[in-house]
Amino acid sequence: MRINPLFFRKTILAGTGLFLCIFLIVHLSANCILLLPEDMAREMYNAYSKTLRDSPIIKAVAYLLYLSILFHVIYAILITIGNRKSKPQKYEVNNARENSTWTSQNMGLIGTMILLFIIVHLANFWARIKLGMGESPGIDAMGNIDVYQVTYSLFQNIYYVIFYTVLMIPLGLHLNHGLKSGFMTLGFYHKNGLRTLAKVSLIYAAIMAIGFGIIPFIVYFK
Amino acid sequence: MSMQLNSKIPEGRLEDKWRNYQLHAQLINPANKKKLNVIVVGSGLSGAGAAATLAELGYDVQCFCYQDSARRAHSVAAQGGINAAKNYQHDGDSVWRMFYDTLKGGDFRSREANVYRLAELSAPLIDHYVQQGVPFAREYGGVLVNRSFGGVQVQRTFYARGQTGQQLLLAAYSQLYKMVRAKKVKMYPRSEMMDLVVVDGKAKGIIVRDLVTGRLKRYAADAVVLATGGYSRVFRLSTLAIGCNGSAIWKAHKRGAYFAAPSFTQIHPTALPQTSEAQSKLTLMSESLRNDGRIWVPLQKDDPRKANEIPETERDYYLERRYPSFGNLAPRDIASRAAKERIDTGYGVGRLKNAVYLDFKHAIGKFGLETIKDRYGNLFNMYKKITGIDAYQEPMQISPAAHFSMGGLWVDYELMTTIPGLYAVGECNFSDHGANRLGANSLLQASIDGYFVLPNTINNYLVNALKEEHTTTDHPEFARAESEVEEHIRRILSVNGTKTVDHFHRELGKIMWQECAMSRNKPGLEDAIRKIEMLKREFWRDVKVTGAGDKMNPELEKAYRLADFIELGILMCTDALEREESCGAHFREEYQTEDGEAVRNDDQYSYVSAWEYAEGRFELHKEDLEFENIKPTVRSYK
Amino acid sequence: MEVTFKIWRQDGSEDKGALQSYEVDGLSEDMSFLEALDHLNEQLVLKGEEVIAFEYDCREGICGQCGVFINGRAHGPHDNMTTCQLHMRSFENGSTIVVEPWRAASFPVIKDLIIDRSAFDRIIEHGAYISAKTGTAPEANAIPIPKPVADAAMDAAACIGCGACVATCKNSSAALFTAAKINHLNKLPQGKAEQHRRVIGMTDQMKEEGFGSCTFTGACEVECPEGISITNIAEMNFRFIKAKIFG
Repeated sequence: MRINPLFFRKTILAGTGLFLCIFLIVHLSANCILLLPEDMAREMYNAYSKTLRDSPIIKAVAYLLYLSILFHVIYAILITIGNRKSKPQKYEVNNARENSTWTSQNMGLIGTMILLFIIVHLANFWARIKLGMGESPGIDAMGNIDVYQVTYSLFQNIYYVIFYTVLMIPLGLHLNHGLKSGFMTLGFYHKNGLRTLAKVSLIYAAIMAIGFGIIPFIVYFK
Repeated sequence: MSMQLNSKIPEGRLEDKWRNYQLHAQLINPANKKKLNVIVVGSGLSGAGAAATLAELGYDVQCFCYQDSARRAHSVAAQGGINAAKNYQHDGDSVWRMFYDTLKGGDFRSREANVYRLAELSAPLIDHYVQQGVPFAREYGGVLVNRSFGGVQVQRTFYARGQTGQQLLLAAYSQLYKMVRAKKVKMYPRSEMMDLVVVDGKAKGIIVRDLVTGRLKRYAADAVVLATGGYSRVFRLSTLAIGCNGSAIWKAHKRGAYFAAPSFTQIHPTALPQTSEAQSKLTLMSESLRNDGRIWVPLQKDDPRKANEIPETERDYYLERRYPSFGNLAPRDIASRAAKERIDTGYGVGRLKNAVYLDFKHAIGKFGLETIKDRYGNLFNMYKKITGIDAYQEPMQISPAAHFSMGGLWVDYELMTTIPGLYAVGECNFSDHGANRLGANSLLQASIDGYFVLPNTINNYLVNALKEEHTTTDHPEFARAESEVEEHIRRILSVNGTKTVDHFHRELGKIMWQECAMSRNKPGLEDAIRKIEMLKREFWRDVKVTGAGDKMNPELEKAYRLADFIELGILMCTDALEREESCGAHFREEYQTEDGEAVRNDDQYSYVSAWEYAEGRFELHKEDLEFENIKPTVRSYK
Repeated sequence: MEVTFKIWRQDGSEDKGALQSYEVDGLSEDMSFLEALDHLNEQLVLKGEEVIAFEYDCREGICGQCGVFINGRAHGPHDNMTTCQLHMRSFENGSTIVVEPWRAASFPVIKDLIIDRSAFDRIIEHGAYISAKTGTAPEANAIPIPKPVADAAMDAAACIGCGACVATCKNSSAALFTAAKINHLNKLPQGKAEQHRRVIGMTDQMKEEGFGSCTFTGACEVECPEGISITNIAEMNFRFIKAKIFG
């Protein structure tokens, strides 16, 4: 079967994007544990981390996740390169703001900011806990790796808190456009359904951005 | 060179003529059709329809248009609909009634046999378009809807919102490109026919200017089909596209094709009024609006009040007053003339007092806003875009504008002109509409000519071409024609005078609109001919065209088209002067009743005028019209 | 009324091109935008200069031949309107109006504001028809088409092929144009027989012509003179997937 890159690339982008959207829900739910009183939060959070590390299914899902991020990024770059070729000469004056949102025009830029965030984020957590880089994390009362402490101490640094929180703004914008766009790319075209989808996307994006963005602050002031 | 006009009407009863013709027409076997090359100039409904169908039949087709794509042809702009005698509405319609309505609408100045064929083929044409995917309006049950149109008391008009022409043209264009893909048609957009090449008295090719490079090119063929549309841009301000021109048929005329009834021009009653001198075109508002809109002017001259402030008792619904049985649906020529009469006597409305009101207040009251929006929404939107006025709130202002050319190259029953091998289809011929065309009949005629008639008549000529050697572009006639075109362009560019092409076009338009439009008279026409001849001399002495001939040059295009329009204007006035009667759109002030209705003269003028070009003069030939099946009556819509 | 036009001048496809300023007076608010350019061209002729090449034909918003980028918007400052329907009353007296040709790799500039849109014709060529020869049609009412289906097909069929969707799209995607035609024909019972071939043929050609991919900015539906909805693109995607699976 011949492949039409205009559709194939977008389908990959939409598929991985929507998968990542689901992942974020799980991630945010876990983050909510941080809002509990300290002892309870530490115990639950570390136990939860251990469950994730030990489950083979989660392991498979985790690899899918890494691949999704990778493919999402690669295909976004391919699409952007292709699209730039389609419009080699720009307009001297362009009032794109009058016919479309800034977000929809700048998904690449926003995506790059998020990618930057993910790199820092992974370096902070994933590299330390999984790869054992940097100062090794402690052990809690139950004998689990004290991931809670890692998180907690990170969020005592106001610069980190601001970095995390501010970069949740592009995340929200990206999700708001991406969720709608992803569904449409995959062929969802029901008129009323799309109206509902637009609202759902907005609510979803707001919950994610506010949820992820506010937790570091709460932890900071805890 | 003078010849007897032979319309080649087949034998037999009116109902049998087309069938008889096909029975006796010569056939060409499919293997031989491939060897025959046909040039089609124009890609509108008739051109695209003909090119696609001829290619489907197996001919080798080359199709030319001046636009950037075949999809732009001006058939695209027809709004209201297309007539067909389907009798879906169960209101007593039939082929015969449609035939009669069309003949009567044309004031008995067209051929019975042609008009009957038009009505007869209308029903299968709707089938064809539905199969091609035209999204005609439907009932909830899924069957096709019809609406009324001017000059008719049955509902036989099929439509696709206010974009019927667009939808039909896109169907024809799609079918054409299907054949382009199949390599049976070679399409040449941005290519303008500059001259016809006649070899041994037969049409054998054309000279084309590539509008991108400016280069002249030669194309040879076994037959040439002109489908170049109408020439109402001779008035400058018209409902036509700016690029519409009469040059192709004018060149053919100068090469020997007779020009029939050139002065029969339809003035459309419902266009938007002119607002300034710089205006380039008059936008048409579909006649279908007259189904629900009521036309009126104030009873008081120069009434300073706004339309909505004028009470019912002080309004003059003049069409309903003068023509109670047809009312606002009186035929176009009558509605236009009635508007002109009101405007000329000082009852006009609008800033320049050159318009009348078209009011939907009553229709909205009766059917509700939503129904009116559903029927005409896009027209109301268009009106708002252009004028800035919301016509749901206050009446539209409309005014007559030059529209359709009933006249065109004289063709016989086979659609062949007086030059063997040269055919004319669609609006550029004179065939079915007589002195006035009924609404929704132009899309019909263009389609019927292109899809159904020409592909079944051209074989009768081409069968002989098979036996002859193909003419190639090396023939000296091609070289001669090309160098004449070259010289013509060189002359235009070398005048280097002081006035623009548009200046001359405005002047021509003023003369034509004043003397050769809705009403005409002898001294006026004589004066017009003198003035146009002067204008012609001035054009060749004082026009200024910048840019070069051997590259893209839109100003040059305008100039050579206008040079032909000027000459055509003289012929139109000559024709109008010669016809001393009033019929259809041709209203001679000398021939009218006391209450201003047209007086036709069947004893002396029941003929089609066919003009032969003779070195700057025009020689009249007459094709007598014989009515064997109906009796011409006084056309009354009262 | 008086304005300053800054217009893209480019002498042929090889030329580099640049914006040039023209101060124009003697305009009126009732003039259309294209009439203002006509007026400017007349002045240029009288000065002995070459006219600005720009496209138009019907000047009533239906042929789709006109279309330029005006002050950063396809077809000018209003939504859902063609260039020829734009009037000078939409501009302030004394304002500057920047006029550029459509920009897309698939729409090369021919001269000044004129571009080559033949890529659209070639997309049409690859399946935007129902293969039925003249003379083969069944009776028109033989297949009933419910009004909502006919209406939806008409909504999509209204496309005038002006290219504003490509011009305004940051990716020069022809998705709206292609989708509108696919959906028009594939919705109708007459178009079903070739539905999958049509989708694959036209979308493949869209790629061949070098148009970009749709990222749903939504700019196209705002600039489309016929207001063709972007949901058409989603529907095309659905039909594409369907064609890949069942075609």
